[in-house]
Amino acid sequence: MNQIQYTEENITFLRNLFRKYYFENKDFPYLYSIEKREFGYRKFDSLVVRHLSFKNMGELMAELVRNVPLDVYYSNAYYGLPSNPINEKQWEGADLIFDIDIKDLDLPCIHEHTYYICNVCGYVNSERTLCVNCKKGKTYDTSIPCKRCLTSIKKEAAKLLDFLYCDLGIKEKFVEIFFSGNAGFHFHVSDPSIRNLDSYSRANVTDYIIGNGFMCESIGVRKYRNGFVIKLPKSGIVTGWRKKIASNLGINQKSELKLKNIVEASGGYEGFRNELKKMTRKNGVHIDGQVTNDIHRVFRLPGSINGKSGLTKAKCDNLESFNPNNEACMLSDSEVYVNLKTKLKITLKNNNFRLDNALEKVPSYVAAYLICKGLASISDAQ
Amino acid sequence: MAKYPFLQEASDYIHETKFDFEEFDRPEMIHIINRAVEKLENELKGKVYSNLDEYEIEIMTFMVSLLLIKSIGLEEVSKKCSLFEAMRVEKFLTSDLNNERSIEKKRLLVQKIFLELFKISIDVNSTSSICKLSIPDYLQRASKMNEQEWKLINRSVKDGYVYLDTDETVRLIRNELSNLIYSRIKNMKVIEIPVSIKSRADELRDKYAGRYVYRNQFKILEYPPCIKHAMELINKGENLPHSARFMLATYMLAIGKTIEDVIDIFRNSPDYNEKVTRYQVEHLAGKKGSHTKYSVPSCDRLRSEDLCFAIKECENLINPIQFGRRKII
Repeated sequence: MNQIQYTEENITFLRNLFRKYYFENKDFPYLYSIEKREFGYRKFDSLVVRHLSFKNMGELMAELVRNVPLDVYYSNAYYGLPSNPINEKQWEGADLIFDIDIKDLDLPCIHEHTYYICNVCGYVNSERTLCVNCKKGKTYDTSIPCKRCLTSIKKEAAKLLDFLYCDLGIKEKFVEIFFSGNAGFHFHVSDPSIRNLDSYSRANVTDYIIGNGFMCESIGVRKYRNGFVIKLPKSGIVTGWRKKIASNLGINQKSELKLKNIVEASGGYEGFRNELKKMTRKNGVHIDGQVTNDIHRVFRLPGSINGKSGLTKAKCDNLESFNPNNEACMLSDSEVYVNLKTKLKITLKNNNFRLDNALEKVPSYVAAYLICKGLASISDAQ
Repeated sequence: MAKYPFLQEASDYIHETKFDFEEFDRPEMIHIINRAVEKLENELKGKVYSNLDEYEIEIMTFMVSLLLIKSIGLEEVSKKCSLFEAMRVEKFLTSDLNNERSIEKKRLLVQKIFLELFKISIDVNSTSSICKLSIPDYLQRASKMNEQEWKLINRSVKDGYVYLDTDETVRLIRNELSNLIYSRIKNMKVIEIPVSIKSRADELRDKYAGRYVYRNQFKILEYPPCIKHAMELINKGENLPHSARFMLATYMLAIGKTIEDVIDIFRNSPDYNEKVTRYQVEHLAGKKGSHTKYSVPSCDRLRSEDLCFAIKECENLINPIQFGRRKII
């Protein structure tokens, strides 16, 4: 949740920029079955409007230009009556969506580019604490992801895609990848065969991808009295997680003795189980499970502006070469003055900005980025 | 067809022979009714009826069984008998799939049971008897099973398919088959049940109804939500997974219930077998085997086994046993 309380001046500036973007943008990503989706948006005063529906993209765009929300959301679910209250919507299925976020990757660099902003006075603190300026407010985190973050998240994304394509057998044509607009990526799977899966089934898929709940028995190690026995599964260890674990352990269907030695070296059944846990965590993907399991969730609308950054939820046709600071930075270039709360360096649209002064003249897309992050406010300087 | 009397072909057979329910009142039908009663009693005692006769007799026995259950009119009897009928089919089907050499026959059988009844497309490997089914088909069934071994991560998975051995494949549809038989009983529209069957049903009701009175009188105390949930399921006559039974029994023993009390709780299970239950409860209480008294599983373990239904009051608890204690304080 965005905790920034925008001033009137900042709201006017952002609303004008956002309206211009929605008015001029003709290449909004196409949304399948738009008439069956629920829409909602967050206004600049943080009020949320939900249970909206639109017949086509034209209607939706007109609403965005008219109301200019801070954030726009749509349902992963398809409904018979999308604008009805939740129990009367007539659920007809939902896309399967995965979310990988930088904050979940536990990266060592995160502290180098995280700012702790007071929720009362807006002061930028150097650590998560009671605000040193007003002594009243608590701090919330805002981060400017670095190149290392982007590299790490792409590696994680590649692991997820491998699970989706090779294990779950999902065809590439059903997978759309989007930069979330702030610090993550969303993977939208619209394969009709998985649309009707309930939350329990989705949780099962989530656990598969995270690597949660792998049993020693699945690789052939069974608890027996105070020890263990080896009995490899009839359906083999050459596919799925069994293959990944077998490969990590360096065993195959004929390596019963080798496996026995490995288990003994790990300290028996319990020790081996702990080793397996570490192995599955390492090989699994850091997705947000709650996002994937929810069959009634609303997600940021592809193509819309993320109110936490001023960047858009842009489609990534080539994940490897995708640079969000260029390809998702879509706002105007016209220059404005901003009052900065801290010194910082950022790169947007291939331009490097070293901002050392309290008052800086920057392109509107930089101003929007910093205001949305809570690190600056618009100045009336000319 | 003798082993699978719930298939459409069996109904067609009855239809073609123009069989009338009143014919069950004829003296030569008594052995069919006796057989159906024997089968039902076996199931009510928690045993799978394994005898197999010619297909006409099996179809008739199946029909009489359904009429008996319908006439007894006890929900618990319907659920228990449906489950044991499903387990009987499971036994035959596993054996047929494992022993049948002709791949064509094997595929035909799979098609009949899985595709016709449950709309699951399954392919059987000609040499290894390993079955292959799509991940969505697998998930729709396996996600209802609480045992961790059914989680997708513990399965052989590749290119959108799950690979199972025949035992596992058949086990996967046990609940569905049980539900199918149960719904057949529930939806059966019989204007008048033949006298010969009704009188036997009355005898069976008198004999077994007492067993099920207990569950209606059971008073639920302030148990933690995980225990409450398990109790609710058991009171509805539903089948609990092993992990839930373990949790329930160890919890009840830990709060001071006697072995007899705990056995009584499980009397409500559709597959209840007093001898087996007694042995297991005594084992958990440390009276049998290694004489170790088993502890109640931790909240952490219950969470990973999908048995946790935490509420606000569960915050900071590490074991369900603490829930009650805190309440008293």
